[in-house]
Amino acid sequence: MAFLKLAGTAALAKLPLIILSTYGAKNHIFLCPCVLSCSSSDDEDKVDEKVDSNDPEEMFQNIQYQKEIIANIRTRPWPMRRKLKVLKQAREIVLKYEGRLTRTRGYQTAGADLLKKLSRLLYNIVVLFIPWEVRIKKIESHFGSGVASYFIFLRWLFGINIVLTVMTGAFIVLPELLAGAPFGTTRSKTIPKEHLASAQDLDTIWSLGGYLQYSVLFYGYYGRVRKIGSAGYRLPLAYFLVGMAVFAYSFIILLRKMAKNSRLSLASASDESFTFCWRVFCAWDYLIGNPEAAESKGAAIVNNIREAIVEEQEKKKDTSLAVLISLRILANILVLLSLAGSIYIIYFVVDRSQKLEQEKPELTLWEKNEVSVVVSLITMIAPSAFELVAQLEMYHPRTSLRFQLARVLVLYLGNLYSLIIALLDKVNSMSSAVSMLTSHNLEFRITDYPNPTTVYHNISPEYGEFKIAENLIVWLVLTSNNFYLAMLLFMLFLCMLPTIFAIVRYRPSQHCGPFSGQEKIYDIISETVSNDFPVWFSKMMTYITSPVVVLPALLLLFMLIYYLQSIARSLKFTNNQLRMQLQTERTEDKKKVFQMAAGMFSNVEPVTLNPSIARLQVPEAAADKQPDQQESDIRSQETSIYTPSLQRNSIITSHQSPVHRGNTIRTITQSASRADLNGGSVAGSVRRPAVTVLPKHCLENNPNRPSPFLGGPSGACRSKSYHHMTCNPPPHCSDSIHSDPLYRKTIRSVHPVEGARLITSQNYGVRRGHTTRYLIVNEHESRKKLLRSATRIPRHYFMEEPAEILELYPLNVRRYTPCTTYHQPHHYRSYSSQQHLSEEEGDEDQRKGRRKMSLGKAHRPRSLSDLHQPPHFYIGDRVENRITIDKEKRRPCLSPTGPRHTESHVKSKTKPKLETPQTESDSASLASSSDQQNSSADQYIQVINNKERYLKSEARQGKTSKKKFKTSFELKNTESNDLLCSNV
Amino acid sequence: MGTTASQLSKESLSEYQELTFLTKQEILLAYKRFTELLDKSEKGDLNVRIPMNKINSLPELKSNPFKDRICRVFSTSEHKDGSLTFEDFLDLLSAFSDSATLEIKSHYAFRIFDFDDDGTLDRSDLEKLVNCLTGETEETKLSPDEMRQLISNILEESDIDKDGTVNLSEFQHVISRSPDFVR
Repeated sequence: MAFLKLAGTAALAKLPLIILSTYGAKNHIFLCPCVLSCSSSDDEDKVDEKVDSNDPEEMFQNIQYQKEIIANIRTRPWPMRRKLKVLKQAREIVLKYEGRLTRTRGYQTAGADLLKKLSRLLYNIVVLFIPWEVRIKKIESHFGSGVASYFIFLRWLFGINIVLTVMTGAFIVLPELLAGAPFGTTRSKTIPKEHLASAQDLDTIWSLGGYLQYSVLFYGYYGRVRKIGSAGYRLPLAYFLVGMAVFAYSFIILLRKMAKNSRLSLASASDESFTFCWRVFCAWDYLIGNPEAAESKGAAIVNNIREAIVEEQEKKKDTSLAVLISLRILANILVLLSLAGSIYIIYFVVDRSQKLEQEKPELTLWEKNEVSVVVSLITMIAPSAFELVAQLEMYHPRTSLRFQLARVLVLYLGNLYSLIIALLDKVNSMSSAVSMLTSHNLEFRITDYPNPTTVYHNISPEYGEFKIAENLIVWLVLTSNNFYLAMLLFMLFLCMLPTIFAIVRYRPSQHCGPFSGQEKIYDIISETVSNDFPVWFSKMMTYITSPVVVLPALLLLFMLIYYLQSIARSLKFTNNQLRMQLQTERTEDKKKVFQMAAGMFSNVEPVTLNPSIARLQVPEAAADKQPDQQESDIRSQETSIYTPSLQRNSIITSHQSPVHRGNTIRTITQSASRADLNGGSVAGSVRRPAVTVLPKHCLENNPNRPSPFLGGPSGACRSKSYHHMTCNPPPHCSDSIHSDPLYRKTIRSVHPVEGARLITSQNYGVRRGHTTRYLIVNEHESRKKLLRSATRIPRHYFMEEPAEILELYPLNVRRYTPCTTYHQPHHYRSYSSQQHLSEEEGDEDQRKGRRKMSLGKAHRPRSLSDLHQPPHFYIGDRVENRITIDKEKRRPCLSPTGPRHTESHVKSKTKPKLETPQTESDSASLASSSDQQNSSADQYIQVINNKERYLKSEARQGKTSKKKFKTSFELKNTESNDLLCSNV
Repeated sequence: MGTTASQLSKESLSEYQELTFLTKQEILLAYKRFTELLDKSEKGDLNVRIPMNKINSLPELKSNPFKDRICRVFSTSEHKDGSLTFEDFLDLLSAFSDSATLEIKSHYAFRIFDFDDDGTLDRSDLEKLVNCLTGETEETKLSPDEMRQLISNILEESDIDKDGTVNLSEFQHVISRSPDFVR
């Protein structure tokens, strides 16, 4: 089968145009590309044929629509030539018609254009200034995005540090330099004479002594003066606030990054249901250009895949659990021991060095550097030890890597803490070091944070030579998985603790620093509040900080946290439930389809040609479809913003697939509905605009769908594209199509929604069994919102509405069916006399056949004979329905009345909805349909046949479809008999 | 860059910006790279098609196991020879650029993996895909047994409708949840 998109076969290319050209320019430009992305240009040339109306509102809408196209065009997977053409056309239209609008609008758009150009320019400039962008791209092109993501992460850290530096510089260093007491004036700003000689030595500078020690870099340099300079800058206050702000900023930025990550990953990383797919589909890093990197990447992929296979095989046989567990426990004990050991060693060494410092005036080189040597030795050796231990555990490599990372981090933290605690002990005697520690801590936090590279070096996976590539994959997983960020956050928190502790617990240095002379560092705040703010403010502050307020506030916070968490939990629960439900219903539906098909084909014998009966297929198939749609709607809203159209499509196929025989029937229904639609388009030559109603109907059919789906301007065209996409025609689309004409007809007298709904539900209500209830569920479910606002709604419809539970349905249906029969029995009778097809069948059945006919099969030549008999079977007040069906019948024979009218009403109503922007995903899914259409080509051709037959009023039906029609009629007949028994 | 830039009119430059996910600099760079591939006589003619093997010699592509597929997917050539015009080339770059949407990326990824261009990934497509990844040499290639299991596992995970193939929407569903894709 030729690949349609590339081949651009002329015969097929023409086809959609027949339909499309009847829908007006908008749909035209919108859909042609989707159906066939490489068709000839003539379809686009007609773009502006319809837009010559002078209604400014309409024109404006159209322009808006065109702009929408321009804005979204880059998100479509078309070749450039096509995009260019569409863009040019859309622009032309905008240009051409914009002038006709009011001047202000012209100015507005001109301004918007200018703004757009400026923003693009700005973007181009900004890209230039992103540091190392080009370099990272270069690295990326050589070694793949894994490596690049590491550098991007480093750049991000660098960015944070820049911000922190700017904050400190602007609010502390700069004011101090400008307005503080000059260098050399006070004790803390003068280098002592005995040190002056060596103050410039590299050695001194290197160990942050000499001139550096008497500069703004050091805490002691700042004075205790409350206000400095003529402007009265409160330096000590600023010092404190900036210190806090640095923490706050680090936290916020980290949390935001995490939130963004988790939003992107959609909480999906947790379920690893796609291991194999990812390993194959997402394995290759398309940015790798370096042959060596490519080779190692390839090797890593092979390993990865093999590993997955082996894992899968091992899943089946269970290794002795007891051994594994005891091994893991042992491993953890070992790790804990080594952690404790390293912490103790550090503490011991620090302690010893202090003692030595006090006892000995002159220290040896070893004694001087003992602490740092020991610390770095530990950080070097311990990770490898952990890794050895990890081999005992026999975890999955990724899990073990996480364990490894966590352990290394704990180790680093332990070292840090033991160091700090040991120093704090020392600090009790000499208090000024604490504040130094405080200010250094900030830098310590991020720069000394266990560097990913060191972590990498320490982790050598078992894949020997593929180390790099493997680690890089891991890196990617880590960056997107929030695991690493969570570690970072934890680290940040732990680093903040000693600082806070020092602030709260210790008295600041009395001799130097901005807080000298205060009891506690944070006193600066209360002091400022009481001295520099009005009395009422300080009073308020005392109230606020009193336990009376603080305790309830804390309680409230806890409650809030609890509440939010419980909500999150219940949402998770609901998610799971929905997923389960989806799975079970999918399997059940599949079973049903299978049974249905099996049942049908066992009853093929009796041959009564009943054209109207084929119609039954559509609603049934639709019924199968609908719950799925519903689910998929929920699901796509809930889990995925990326694939809104996915489940729908895929599920559609699912119903075709399980039973091969079922397909043939579906095919019929499709052609039937298509023909139905076709009737519309034939008529369209006379009253083309009437067809523009279609989209509206489509919209109403699915009001609760995510917007992409709404975006399609035309139901018919959409269904078309669906046909391409799924190998078999998705019946739900045909459903929407076939009910459309009804809707259109009704529109004149009834509120559109009501009309359509009423008819559909009526029809479905009469149908038998389980299929029926599905449909009703969906009709009501999907329309609920619209219905609420609709005024005249028959009561019994409402009764069904609230019931969203499927189990309730049979009851409703049954109750409802007899009801209608009671109301209008004579109508049926009179009606049935006109029936050629059903001889001995009861009212019920005929009515059913009738309806079916009215719904879909009206296009069949023989159905013309029914034309003059308006079926009168609806409940009293709904006279419009009769009209509807009447009209519907006539339409195929090109009745020239009515619809023209309708069009003018409806059009204005529909317009705004037509403008609904088509989102990327939608366009993508639509456009992509062209990829898949070739497999459905035969159906396609059938449709053509139907259409042509219709157009020329001759029975040039394809052989296959004819045959299918026949069989289906037979089936139908038997089914209707069934119905008789069960329903009456 | 001044000379090359002059050959790309301002108008088309802005159009390309509108139609792709590339910035101006990137388009100019792409143009430069593209013209480097052209013969002397063809310089400046943007409608010239560069044959597939020449494109594949680009350092960015030459180690890519899917290079042939990439060219074929993005080529608009009627002979299906995988040759690219400048606009095809831009399409390619745009789809692979950072700012391209997931939809675009997954769409093209699907087409790249769809070796027989039939709109679904069936078993033979998957097999080819895996072979592309693993290479054809004896020691790296998967054994038939492994291959069978791998493919059936893939289908089990991704083939929602159980028709034995992975279609575009199923593919996008899977791939959109991948951590590699989410960035």
